[in-house]
Order: sequence, then structure tokens, then C-alpha cells
Amino acid sequence: MSTRWYPIYQRGNPQLRVFLPNFWMKLIRPTEEQPPNVVTFSVSMEMTKYDVRSYLEKIYKLPVVDVRTRIALGETKKDQTYGYITKKDDVKLAYVTLPREESFVFPDFFSEKAEKQAKEEKSLDESKEGFRRFLDRNKKRPGTPGWFSI
Amino acid sequence: MLKLSLVNQLRSTYKRCLAGQSLQANVADSEYSAQPVYPEIQDPSFKARKQRDAADWHEEIRQVPTVEEKLIKINIPRYYGYKVVDFNDSKIPYNALPLTQHYTRTVLEDLPPLPGSQVVDQGDQPKPSEDASFKTVREDVIEALEFAHDYYKHQEKLPNSAQPSAVEREQILTQIIVEQLNRALLQALSEDHKHLDEVEVDYNPRHEAFWAVGGVDPPKNVINSKKGREWQKDMANESVDRLVQYTGTPYLSLRHRRQLSPWKTTAESENIELSKQIPRFKHDPRTLGYSTKHQHATNVPGYWPKGNEQNFGLLSFQSRAHLQLRPKSYGESDLQEALHSLAIKSSYAWLLAQANYNGFNTYNELTYPMNTQTVITNGREWSFYEYQLNTLLLHGKYQEDNPRVNFCRGTKPLPLYAEISTNGKCVDFNDATLRQLLNFYANVPSIQRSNEEQQPYVASDISAYENPEQRDFIAKTFKYLASNRPRHLELPEVYLWEKLYKIDNNNRAMEAKRRFFTLDVNPWRRTLDQHDKVYVPRAIRGKSRENRYKKTYYP
Repeated sequence: MSTRWYPIYQRGNPQLRVFLPNFWMKLIRPTEEQPPNVVTFSVSMEMTKYDVRSYLEKIYKLPVVDVRTRIALGETKKDQTYGYITKKDDVKLAYVTLPREESFVFPDFFSEKAEKQAKEEKSLDESKEGFRRFLDRNKKRPGTPGWFSI
Repeated sequence: MLKLSLVNQLRSTYKRCLAGQSLQANVADSEYSAQPVYPEIQDPSFKARKQRDAADWHEEIRQVPTVEEKLIKINIPRYYGYKVVDFNDSKIPYNALPLTQHYTRTVLEDLPPLPGSQVVDQGDQPKPSEDASFKTVREDVIEALEFAHDYYKHQEKLPNSAQPSAVEREQILTQIIVEQLNRALLQALSEDHKHLDEVEVDYNPRHEAFWAVGGVDPPKNVINSKKGREWQKDMANESVDRLVQYTGTPYLSLRHRRQLSPWKTTAESENIELSKQIPRFKHDPRTLGYSTKHQHATNVPGYWPKGNEQNFGLLSFQSRAHLQLRPKSYGESDLQEALHSLAIKSSYAWLLAQANYNGFNTYNELTYPMNTQTVITNGREWSFYEYQLNTLLLHGKYQEDNPRVNFCRGTKPLPLYAEISTNGKCVDFNDATLRQLLNFYANVPSIQRSNEEQQPYVASDISAYENPEQRDFIAKTFKYLASNRPRHLELPEVYLWEKLYKIDNNNRAMEAKRRFFTLDVNPWRRTLDQHDKVYVPRAIRGKSRENRYKKTYYP
């Protein structure tokens, strides 16, 4: 969210100023299983369920059937050094129901990346293992070149 | 010594066996039998043990002799009430029909058209005597409708401090219409239909019912808790039971001492294939918009048990005023589904509550089918439904194994009249709708069962208990539970600072552990019988110290 409201008019230039909107919506992955036609958003705290509905209908032309909102308590955390407690901001969650024949699956952008990373790690582990075997083999004859073998 | 004697006995038996003597001779005077009788082999796994414990508890409930004590027994595990899904007649979320069908195990069908209406369609004339009687009823009904509207108009004009909302206005008008129509119909029909002389009319009765539903995904805290234990990890995602509490207030309901005859045979009702086809809603009901609350299990069909003999429902008139609050975006087809689901849940709940007064409950299966008729109306539009309750077992494994299903059949909303004109005359009266309503009134409840057949699990009545103290205790406890009042001792409060600094983060480790959460006490787990007993003053009990506290008689 922008930290400033749209400013009161002042005389003088420059007049054209760009401000970030106060209303925003962020798609989030639902923490619990829910019907396929329900989409979860984290929304700006000022937005009401009517705002959420018109945001989706007017800007994205989505067929919205129903909107339910709730405010989730932010997490608290204890500081490891000094022991004081910090709290994250509360967030407003909006559960948007689409018509029953629609379904929304949260996109999985990073599964491929994770797979690739796992593969790389595996090859790295293998080469490390190979080097350790080489060291083990040559423990009693230090300085032997790698190509030398019995 | 003892062990030695046993060994000697065994040795002598062995010797006799070696000598070719039979064991028979010694059988009569010992605990041995010729045929070995072994106890049943039981599955020692955790899951099987849990299921056995549950089955034992259900059997205990069945053995409890009276209706009131059965309900108390079901409520014993929770002092502050169960966490229940709030099923009521005033809120139906979008796409609620699959959940309603799952939670009531109901197959939905269309109500077959009336034979009379088909005759009229084909152009044949109905019998003149029927026609004459129908004409008089029709006139009475139109008069009642016009009167109701007139009365409502008059009521509206009265100086009233609060302006009623649209929902309240519909409720007030429909209440008048339904009451007037019921009065007119009872008056007009009771000559030909003698059973209507005996009906009991309840105005705005309380209909409440409690049941358990299986086959629902576990909530996140249950999954996390199971995943935390190595041996329970595999069971983490297994379905759990949800408890449901229905609360509703129809405009009016009619009861009779006999039962309506079922319209599905036993063979039709027991169909495992059909039971598998019923839609299932596996997600948490909160994802659809239902809420949860803590409440004692109550089963109230609009009267106290044994209050009178009219123990079976004939007809109930449900309100659809709250459907006005549903947004337009839900659509027309969903409104139709909402009407279906309202009919299903109100009929199921009313029948379950009646069954409860005959000794059955969500854990003890019905032994005979029960039927009712339901009308949903806003005065102008009338939807007609018939319901047959065949089974109450919806929990745990019965969600899959139970071959029985319940049936509901109904119509679309039919208009009774188009409008009431400005001069108070009824315009475009619809005869087909009235015929359907008359058909419901004329449906004669004919089934009467012997007491043993009707109440197989009820062995006694609290009035038969000789101890007046016990009678008093049971009646009071039962009525307290059914009253839905909060417990005398409120739940201990957790302050927000305590949640932040003591529960979520242990910042005050050195503080004395006096609060319940530091002592590892879960107040929700408190059982109904965990309370201080009532003190009996010395003036009443005499000088003895023995009976200082009143006895409790929990089943």
C-alpha cells in the first residue's frame, strides 16, 4: 500500500504526480483445502467485501458470486538476542467465490526450479562423494596423481 | 504352593490322557468344558480399539432406559457443549445442496404430479361431489388470503417505533397467511378427513436436532497434531466426524399421533449403489460460509417428550424470508437449490428430533421409516416437499458402509395467486397449488405401532422412577440442556497479553503457574459431571455428615 493519501491540491508545478493505489489485492495460496471455485486473496486493510467485489468485477471482469473477508492476526516472534516480542501486521483475507463451474488452481511456478535445484545438488553431492572416495583410497600414499591407480 | 498345585493338576490330566481316559469324567465339577470356548479375537490396532470404544459408547447410549437420560448421556463428554456446525433455517450459502445432501444422506427427486391435476389437463371432468367441495374450500382460502392481506395492511398502519426490515415484513405477512389458511383448511376439510380433528398445531415451534457426520476432511490442527506423532502420521489425513446442530423455527407445524405411510419400500431404501451416488462435500463446511459454535446437543421437535400423544409430524410450513438476503449474483438456479436444501435440512432435522423422542439418535439406528411433509412459502409462492427418513447413521464408517438412504421429493415454487389488487381482491388464483396443499392435508397418517415396536430402545419413563430426587435431577438437567442457556460457570478468559507473552511466547517463565493454560488444563475438555455438588443445609439433612451434598444421577 502506498503510505500517502492523494494530496490536497496545491498551486504550482509539477501537477502530474503518480501515487501507488491504496487498494491492492494479492493472490495467496490457501492454507487449507477448499472448493475449487474459491480463491483466496490478501487485501488492503481498508477494503471491504464490496470493494473486493467491484475491484475484481470492474478491473478484471471476473464473475464474482460471493466475497467473505476476515482479519487474520499477525504472527509474533521473540527476539533471539534481547527477548522482546515483535508482531507482524494483521492481514485482511478475502475468500472470493466464483460460479460453481469455474475452478482455480494456484499456479505452481517454482516446482520446476526446485526440481532443477535438487538435480544440481544431487550431482554436486555425487562429485563430493567421489572426491572423498579418492581421498580415502589415497590416504596412505599422499601426493599420488588422480589418474594413477592399481 | 498354588503354582505347584496347578502343575500337579496338569500332570494328573496329562497322565490320564496318556492312559487313554477321556477328560469327560472330570468336566462336570470343574471350570473346564468339553468344547473350548475362546473369547472373540480382537484387532489390537489403535484404530480398531478407537472404533470399539465408540461402538461401546453407542451401545451404552442404547441401553439407557429413558429418552431424557439418553440426551444427557450424549452430552456428558462436554461441559461447555460440543463444537458444532451451525445449521439453521436462516442461512443457506452458495452451492449448499451437495453439502446438505451429504450431511443428511438424502437422495433428491421430483414430486410426481397429482393424479387429479393430470385429469384436468386431459380435459376430463372430475367428480361433481369433489368439485363442489373443492369450490367451497377454494372460496374459503381466497377469503382467508384477502383477510390476511387486509389484516397485514391494517397492522402496518399502526404507529410502530421500529420500521421492520424486508425480511421481517415477509415473515409477519406469511405468518398471518399461513395461520389463516391453516385455520380455513382445517375447518373446511375436517368433515371429510377425520384425522384433521386430532392434529396438534404448533405456532412458531422450536425445531432443533443434533447429529454426527462422517467423511469430512480433518481440520488443520488435527492433521498437525497427528503428523507430530510418528505412529499416527499415516492416519493424519483420514476423515473425521463433524457434529451438526440444526436450529429452526417454522411458521407452523401439525402433529398427529399416527405416522404417515412411507412412499419408498425397504428394498428401495437399501441400495449401496445409490448411497455412493449421493454427492459428498469433503471440505470443511466453513469454506462454504457455514460457521461453528459451541452448543449442547439438543433435539427438540417443538414439544417436551411425552408431553402429549401427538408424536409424529404431519406437515410443517417453513420460512423463505431469509433467502431475500442472498445476493442477486447467486443466480436463479441456486435459489432453487437453496429451497431444496432448506427443505432437506428442515425435514431431516424435524424427523430426527421426533425419532429422538422415540429413543433413536444419531448413534442408534432407526428401526422403521419416518415421513413428513414440508411446505416452504412466502405467502405467494409455495414449494411442496415430502421426506422419508430411513437412516440416522451418518458418522464414521457408516458414511461408506450404510446401504440405507433418505429420500426427499419436491416441486418448484408454485404461485398460489398473482397479487392482491388495490381493492383487496385476490387476482389469478392458482387451483393446482391449492390442490397440492389439499393433498398434503388429506394425506391420512395411518400407521400405528405397538409401544415396543415404536420405542424399542426406551425401557422406562422418568415418571416410573421411584426416587423423587432422581426424577427431579433428570428433569432439571434435561431441561437445562435443552434450554440453550450458557453454563453457569463461564469459560475462563485468556487476555490478549497472556496470549502474546505467556502462550505464544514464553516470556514469563519464572511466573507462578496458576492459570489453566500453564497447568495444561483444557477447559473445553471439561465433562458435564465435573462440577461442585449441591450442598444440603444442616436443617434439612439433620446432624449426619454423610449426606452433606446432593447426589447426582448422571446416566
